[in-house]
Amino acid sequence: MIVCVAVVGHQNNPLYIQSFTEADDALKLHHIVHCSLDVVDERVNNPKKSGLTLNETFLGLLYPTENYKVYGYLTNTKVKFILVTTDLDVRDADVRNFFRRFHAAYVDAVSNPFHVPGKRITSKTFAERVSNIVKSFGLSSAG
Amino acid sequence: MGREVSESCIDSLLTEMVASYCNQFYSNTPELAARRIEAIGYQVGHQLSERYTMDRPRFTDHLEAIKFICKDFWSELFKKQIDNLKTNHRGTFVLQDNKFRWLSRISGDPSVDNGTQDPESKAAQAMSMYLYFPCGIIRGALSNLGIPCAVSADISSLPACEYNWILSPCCFSIKYAF
Repeated sequence: MIVCVAVVGHQNNPLYIQSFTEADDALKLHHIVHCSLDVVDERVNNPKKSGLTLNETFLGLLYPTENYKVYGYLTNTKVKFILVTTDLDVRDADVRNFFRRFHAAYVDAVSNPFHVPGKRITSKTFAERVSNIVKSFGLSSAG
Repeated sequence: MGREVSESCIDSLLTEMVASYCNQFYSNTPELAARRIEAIGYQVGHQLSERYTMDRPRFTDHLEAIKFICKDFWSELFKKQIDNLKTNHRGTFVLQDNKFRWLSRISGDPSVDNGTQDPESKAAQAMSMYLYFPCGIIRGALSNLGIPCAVSADISSLPACEYNWILSPCCFSIKYAF
């Protein structure tokens, strides 16, 4: 189950953070997202020889904590998407699919002429689309 | 999922934008009008670059980003690619488009009002206002890809008027800190 998604701008400024459980502490999730930014920078600056190529957008599993797994995605415009999930067995294809749909929703939200680049995304449509994508993520991995 | 708009609408919108900013809003200060138009282009380029880089792997260096602008970005906007790309390897790129789509319907009026200015430079001056918007688009797209730069354009010195239609080759030059 996805507990948190975040969009972080290219200066590591948060553009959108949404947590999807009431049980967990929102502050703890923000902290996890913040720590994962360092891992993203490290992955980008020191690409491993095996596996990840330098210019792929999907960064894969960033790091596992005690209860969560954190996945990362870096766009061409240096915007980072972070996904925090509690699922134990998550298929790679599902996460890639999630990030693809999330990227499409993000592009649509940013194309809003009233959106100021660098400021938080306040569009309700974007929030609804994200929660739809999050809900269907759970369904597709169960099926 | 995208909806389409007819090209004549885009042409009318661009013409009207330049006309309003030059004749109405900033009629006494054409430099401010130019800067406003360029700023609009900057925001548009910013957003377009997000959309058109969506399904691509990341760029490894500046040259890849410039080639993206010349090929994919230009094809999405103008249905053709840049015809010629030159660089001095010290931070300047020159993109040449032999038939810039947004200028292709501008005609050169051979009648001269007062005879003090020759028709070629008057036409060039009028055309240059229409080039600020695409300059802004290029600058916005490149700065969103991480390359802050300055973009300028000029109508190159090829034969200007033939049968009242201005051939529309233009050169965009991009300067960035190396």
